[in-house]
Amino acid sequence: MSQLILFNITNGLIVGAFYALMAIGLSLILNLSGVINFAHGGFLVIGGYLSYTLTPYLGFWGALIVAPFLTAIIGWLVERLLIRRVYGRDPLYSLLLTFGLAFIIEDGTRQIWGAQGLPVSVPAALSKPLSYEFFFITGYRLFMVAMVAVLIVLLFVLLRYTRSGIRVRAGTLDLETVSALGINVRALRSLNFSVGIFLAGFAGVLAAGQLGLDPNMGDGLLMPSFIAIIVGGVGSLTGTLLGGLLIGVAAGVTAVFFPSASDAIMYVMMAIVLLVRPRGLLGEEGMLS
Amino acid sequence: MNVLEVKNVSKRFGNLVAVRDVSLTVKKGELRAVIGPNGAGKTTFFNLISGFFPPSAGTVIFEDMDVTDLSAQKRVVLGMARTFQITEIFPELSVYENVRIGAESAAGFRLRPWLSAVEKSEIRNLVDETLALCGLTDKAGRLVGELAHGHQRATEIAMALTLRPRLLLLDEPTSGMGDQETYEITQLVRRLHRDSNFTIVLIEHDMRVVFHLADFITVLDQGALLAEGTPKEIEANPAVQAAYLGKAA
Amino acid sequence: MIKGRTSRLLVLAAIWAALIAAPYWMPLFGGYTALGSRVLVLALGAMSVNFLLGFTGTLSFGHAAWFGLGAYGAGFCLKWFALSSPLGLLAGTLLGGIAGTLLGALLVRRRGVYFAMVTIAFGQVFYYIAFQWSSVTGGDDGLRGFSRQPLHLGFTMIDLLNNADAFYYFVLVCFAAAVGLMGFILRSPFGRTMIAIRENERRARFLGIPVELHIWIAFSLSCFFMAFAGALYAELNNFADPRVLHYALSGDFVIMAVMGGMRTFWGPLLGAIVFVVLQDYLSSVTVNWMSFIGILIVLIVLFFPRGILGLIRQRSAA
Repeated sequence: MSQLILFNITNGLIVGAFYALMAIGLSLILNLSGVINFAHGGFLVIGGYLSYTLTPYLGFWGALIVAPFLTAIIGWLVERLLIRRVYGRDPLYSLLLTFGLAFIIEDGTRQIWGAQGLPVSVPAALSKPLSYEFFFITGYRLFMVAMVAVLIVLLFVLLRYTRSGIRVRAGTLDLETVSALGINVRALRSLNFSVGIFLAGFAGVLAAGQLGLDPNMGDGLLMPSFIAIIVGGVGSLTGTLLGGLLIGVAAGVTAVFFPSASDAIMYVMMAIVLLVRPRGLLGEEGMLS
Repeated sequence: MNVLEVKNVSKRFGNLVAVRDVSLTVKKGELRAVIGPNGAGKTTFFNLISGFFPPSAGTVIFEDMDVTDLSAQKRVVLGMARTFQITEIFPELSVYENVRIGAESAAGFRLRPWLSAVEKSEIRNLVDETLALCGLTDKAGRLVGELAHGHQRATEIAMALTLRPRLLLLDEPTSGMGDQETYEITQLVRRLHRDSNFTIVLIEHDMRVVFHLADFITVLDQGALLAEGTPKEIEANPAVQAAYLGKAA
Repeated sequence: MIKGRTSRLLVLAAIWAALIAAPYWMPLFGGYTALGSRVLVLALGAMSVNFLLGFTGTLSFGHAAWFGLGAYGAGFCLKWFALSSPLGLLAGTLLGGIAGTLLGALLVRRRGVYFAMVTIAFGQVFYYIAFQWSSVTGGDDGLRGFSRQPLHLGFTMIDLLNNADAFYYFVLVCFAAAVGLMGFILRSPFGRTMIAIRENERRARFLGIPVELHIWIAFSLSCFFMAFAGALYAELNNFADPRVLHYALSGDFVIMAVMGGMRTFWGPLLGAIVFVVLQDYLSSVTVNWMSFIGILIVLIVLFFPRGILGLIRQRSAA
């Protein structure tokens, strides 16, 4: 029994780490620019498919690094050409814009790579389980968590210690003042958006190795990302990280006792948070309200 | 009776003290001007009185009732109305419609799906009266967003008046206006004070307006109360002069 | 162009004339009556979203949830409880409306972008339930085994199931009732308060308007209208599936409202017509219809945010 619980909690943490990665990218964009990126799942898909296409030329590791960058560049273009135009307007428009983009991306990937799922191979070194006892912790899953952890730490370091990072954090709190200080807010937003998309693309590469490729895979990850942000607290990246992990673990634990309800638990958590502490676990009062 | 008693209010934003231990008492029918150099905390003080946010310390008493913990909306219902430094109106509605919303809210008709003929004419009369008082009758059908700044402000004041407020708070009513518009608004406020006996507290930068209208003046500087008195007393007060000149230097 | 009341009444008359005569002129353009019913039902959905979005300025992007609940409600009623089309409509309307009212109390504490997020997430809760609870809802396959019932009017019986024209007029009557009620509410003091909140929430608050309460009421009303549309949808198709709960449908309704003209009353009807016709046409000529719809959405957001009617109004005012 304890094996089962351990298995599920570990699984939950892995899934949670993944949710957190997606949600953090979404949160970055939401906090600075007030845009709910409906197309976030689409960029995840692009990342995954790009790595698939690049692997024959660059190998697994090459694709792992290059695909997210390419995805980020696409994201940068999208921000520069499209999203930038709706910043000043009613949030409805940015929502609709990314909503339309999601359609285009989904259909586009289907067009380019076909509607069937594609199998993805992962280096043999990573597929081996860690040990007989912990058979469920395959190298790849550990690798995924390690990569997510590295990226998140890297992001937090960047935000804390680089000039741009500090500007992004300041901009999240008070964009007007940041702009009045002479900082190029447009460039900041573009950079911020691209970073968020990089994370989505990276998540896509990781997901591909675990789940294979499917034009619809982005859909299923968008909702957990939303909920991670709501539970963790709008405006707080640490909160989003926490939210993602919590949802994952909760789903894992629930799977032990009520297997069919494990997907539902995150909605229940969201409802509880909204009832008891609407701003989220680590959220600040008044953010985006 | 004192319409407003503000007792030792302070407001802190983190480490910044915007308002420091300020007290104020306004009698019925009085027109009080709150002045002070830029950054003196005047608008923050107004926000405390009107309930925009709660004070860090102190109490606000309106007509002998402690309203410190009440929301802005509740204070409006009790009889406090205010205008804002940047005019807050309904830009895509006509002047008449703007004022009508105030009238219907004041009459308690907000939730109503329909009004009887009597109620409709009640509202119509109130709106017409208020528009006439503010000199807006000929502009009733125009979209407020298209009007000159002065008329927008007059509309905002008209909306506040429909609430039949027992305290009218005007935040820099003549800000951003030229001489002619300043004159018109000043005359309007004077009418409201002298003829209609409204109790008014206003923030102003234009000293001509202040000395023309005020019964009493409160001077704030860097969030604290600097001086209080009749216009003559304030004019002669050296500390007040220093505060203004000091800032200009 | 003639202005004022006369022109408005003429436009109104023209709209209703076109709607009443639809089964006769639609076939001339390659249309068919059931398509007309579909347009009406979706238009009602779009107008319900617009009731909240265009007139209160509240951004709900999860409104399909109430539509779907209305659909399933009607389906449950017709399948297990009462073989009556009007009762099915009532059941669906109550299910979606009451659920929306209860949840609304929770949701309206937040506004703007956060509110949109929360409505989307909550909408998905119902999608998920419909998907998983397959013993009751039929899961992915959808709720089947029910159909709209003939209308017993005492002196006569109208076959709604097989007579497409009869059902169209049934839908039209329902549409007229709902739309009439909506218009009535919007012209009342309550409606004016909603518009005030949209125009300037701070000013509304400082006029003594309890903003959260009003938004909750407006939200609840729009949920009832939405559920009514959903119930009609279920009776139109004799079928309900999780897709009617998905946020993609919410997005569709918002698009229809924006495309037709968000701040206008009849805009969403126009938007629904264009959207349905376009979607129908595109999906029959190309497999990439999704891209086209996506591109259309992007174009509208960037270049035509006021929608068709909004554009016309701007032109005529100039």
